[in-house]
Amino acid sequence: MSTLESPLAVAESENAKSAAGPSRSASVAELPVAKAVSPTRAALRQFGKSPSGVAGAILLVLLVAATIFGPFIYHVDPLEIVGMPFAPPDADALLGTDYLGRDVLSGLIHGGRATLTVGAVAALITIVIGVSVGALAGFFGGWMDSLLVKITEFFQVLPPLLFAMVLVTLFGAKLSTITLAIGVVSWPSAARLTRAEFMRLRDLDFIKASRAAGAGSWHLILRVALPNALPPIIVSATLAIGVAILFEGGLSFLGLGDPNTMSWGLMIGQNRNYVLDAWWAVTFPGAAIFLAVLAVSLVGDGINDAVNPRLRRR
Amino acid sequence: MTLLVHLFGKLANAAALLLAVLVLNFCLIHTAPGDPVQVIAGEMGGASAEVIASLRAKYGLDHSLIEQLFTYLHNVLRGDFGYSYYFNQPVLGLIAQRLPATLYLALASVVMAVVIGTLLGVASARRPNGLFSHAVTVVSLAGYAAPVFWTGLLLLLLFGSVWPILPVNGMSDVVHPKQGIAHLLDVLKHLILPSATLAMVFVAQYSRLARVNMIDVLSADYVRTARAKGLPESVVIFKHALRNALIPIVTVVGLQFGNLFAGAVLVETVYSWPGMGRLVYDSILRRDYPTLMAVLFFSAVLVIAANIITDLVYRLIDPRIRAGAR
Amino acid sequence: MPVLAVENLSVGMTGRSGGLVPVLENLSFTLDKGKTIALVGESGCGKSMTALAIMGLLAEGFVVTGGRILLDGEDLLTARPKRLRSLRGDAMSMVFQEPMTALNPLYTVGDQIAEVLYYHRRLSRKDAAEQAVEFLKAVQIPAAAQRAKAYPHQMSGGMRQRVMIAMALACKPKLLIADEPTTALDVTVQAQIFDLLAKLQDETETAIVLITHDLGAVAELADDIAVLYAGRCIETGPAKELAASPRHPYTSGLLGCVPHLTVGVAKPAQWHDLGEIPGMVPSLGQRGPDCAFLARCANATDVCRSRPQPPLGAIAPGHTVSCWRAQEIAA
Repeated sequence: MSTLESPLAVAESENAKSAAGPSRSASVAELPVAKAVSPTRAALRQFGKSPSGVAGAILLVLLVAATIFGPFIYHVDPLEIVGMPFAPPDADALLGTDYLGRDVLSGLIHGGRATLTVGAVAALITIVIGVSVGALAGFFGGWMDSLLVKITEFFQVLPPLLFAMVLVTLFGAKLSTITLAIGVVSWPSAARLTRAEFMRLRDLDFIKASRAAGAGSWHLILRVALPNALPPIIVSATLAIGVAILFEGGLSFLGLGDPNTMSWGLMIGQNRNYVLDAWWAVTFPGAAIFLAVLAVSLVGDGINDAVNPRLRRR
Repeated sequence: MTLLVHLFGKLANAAALLLAVLVLNFCLIHTAPGDPVQVIAGEMGGASAEVIASLRAKYGLDHSLIEQLFTYLHNVLRGDFGYSYYFNQPVLGLIAQRLPATLYLALASVVMAVVIGTLLGVASARRPNGLFSHAVTVVSLAGYAAPVFWTGLLLLLLFGSVWPILPVNGMSDVVHPKQGIAHLLDVLKHLILPSATLAMVFVAQYSRLARVNMIDVLSADYVRTARAKGLPESVVIFKHALRNALIPIVTVVGLQFGNLFAGAVLVETVYSWPGMGRLVYDSILRRDYPTLMAVLFFSAVLVIAANIITDLVYRLIDPRIRAGAR
Repeated sequence: MPVLAVENLSVGMTGRSGGLVPVLENLSFTLDKGKTIALVGESGCGKSMTALAIMGLLAEGFVVTGGRILLDGEDLLTARPKRLRSLRGDAMSMVFQEPMTALNPLYTVGDQIAEVLYYHRRLSRKDAAEQAVEFLKAVQIPAAAQRAKAYPHQMSGGMRQRVMIAMALACKPKLLIADEPTTALDVTVQAQIFDLLAKLQDETETAIVLITHDLGAVAELADDIAVLYAGRCIETGPAKELAASPRHPYTSGLLGCVPHLTVGVAKPAQWHDLGEIPGMVPSLGQRGPDCAFLARCANATDVCRSRPQPPLGAIAPGHTVSCWRAQEIAA
């Protein structure tokens, strides 16, 4: 098995076991188990008080809505040539045309679907791998920790974007490969965070109490520790979406976009050499990426402030 | 003495990590779709039948995978990272030519980012709810969210056509080559835009980090002690508070080096800066795998080197670590 | 003229709604050269606020709402920031509660002492460093020359507190404020630090404001004692008299809380053996005009409940108390 696949394999086997986890520990399910300290509702209310967080959430909803409903309102095929290349924004093409004469606005709408999907799925992969590795390392400690920390350290030595670039070059510039590659290279920071959180939780009294009462390890990890470790994980998941969107852009910019699927990154990558002739073909997709990353960062900050009272005053 | 032992341990760890990177590279070549020899030769390299035959022999592709791995490692240890059929020269030479330019860019950016980011953070920590502090927060969010290649293109647009006061292309003036000091100044002038573009992302992150840390440190007991001693405010801020606030920043700078390097690759392609980034871009276009693999390896070398330097700086700043607490 | 005169000092905290919540109300005391006054009370009673107000180091959100603080006749509250800074560390200095965190971990202790001399006395770096070693000797740190090159984390809590004292006394201040200087230390070390303070005070004639929650521990060291409760001074007087015959039930309680062996005076007959004072200090913002101790007082009567807290009234020469039943309790 290649080194590339091993982290995924770890995640898969962990998932398989975790599915078995709760049923095995069903006998201890009625134990007095500590609930998550900050209930979701309180966090939501707190989130509502953060103007920037709410602004980010609104922006994000608008962007997602535009990519979902846009095609029903604006009937232009993003890959179809509709006019002269480099036509400036006018009544025909609201945001102009690109180097092939394709409509930029339509590209934005359809490209957003791909880019946002890549962002969300890649972030999901990042978090699943990162949380699995971090939880196992932090909870069990010992040789398991040493091994997983070594693996994490190894992945941190490789610049994520360059690693993703090599993977996509070798395995082909398809949207699925790109998504997977971004997820596979980005997990170490989530793993470190989860590990620290689990190490902290492991020594807390309520975990010790559950353990003393005979709760199994998988039960403790999934039902007791994980819910308590969730707030920072959610924050890092939100931020991971932003990073993944930026990576999709970066890869496309280096010519590693999927040429058959319009995405914001691809639009920039394909038009980059003509920026002096047609600023609009590059500026608008870049602005779209900027807004999307800004939106998820604001939401992430808002959640962070809501679940982390110590930082709230800042 | 303890420092030497510590350094030795770090170097041994580094060697192990680099070996692992080589093994990864080997695995990637062999898991990639298609014949490994095609990968090694590069799809677009236009390798002839003879070349392919000689490659098969050199890399022992008819032997078992384990033997092939050892052949590969052996070659690398002799400094043979393969041959780029697109550039028509050994990969190692290519990297050696391009590395300095990338290092200049990366170092200029990191220095700029740390200095500006820290100063912004310190200034905004003085009044965490003031107007300036909010402005820094907004700028830092924007700097983080803007894709570096996009800001690069916008600046290229601005300084390339709208307001042409800075060079936007290459590393020096090729039309009117200069000598000596003039050449150096010319290179520095060419460096401004690329390094500023790259620094922007990190200024955003460091100013944020510096702000949070400074707010923390400014409420520390020893800062109150410094004030109770009647020290000038500048001494309180820069001697007593900032040095403490720098510790976590140094850690993050070290951790971010991989991202810095990747950012440099993107920025270089925007401004045609003749470093590894251009090399990466061309290698991707030509599917020049040996070059790409070598770039990945050497980027790992740079990251590890940066980590060791970070560790030393950390020790320089914090006597608690220096005393061998770890 | 007294070295320090605090007159009707009041400090408030800006509340969430923007209003000011009183933290310290109408505190007055004077302190002469070479003398020691102890400010005593539970945490949150305003004693540390008093110290920080004198030093001009109140944290953000706290403001002086009235009164005067005179250092050698100069009003610190109206002094310019620059003047205040030149007084801090020179004419007045402070020793903090936590020697573990009060020293900067990144600089040697010698450097942190020398710094004071460098900025206030304009000594050269070299002379300041040599002086610092002398001060380390003065606070009885063995092998001072080597210890000057040590970092705080290489020293014990007691040693660090000695360093803090050396730093505070480097410029021979007229006033030293010691905020719970021994709370974080072992009992044996506590006694050493108090002895050291007393010895240095004899040599330098520095006036000391000693802040503590441990009334018994300071009965010997202090000349005067002011007992604070919920931001109000409830009893003041000469240390010996106040310890021998406390008039306010709270003061009696504080003394009762102290294991009697450590108190340097014989056990007076009227001490209530409370063991502890029941209840809690009323929280900020919930302090009305009533006697703040009312809810916890074992001696409270309807008389107390019907009237606001009385002002401090003299009950013996130099001994004042704020209690409606002070006369009865004394009898």
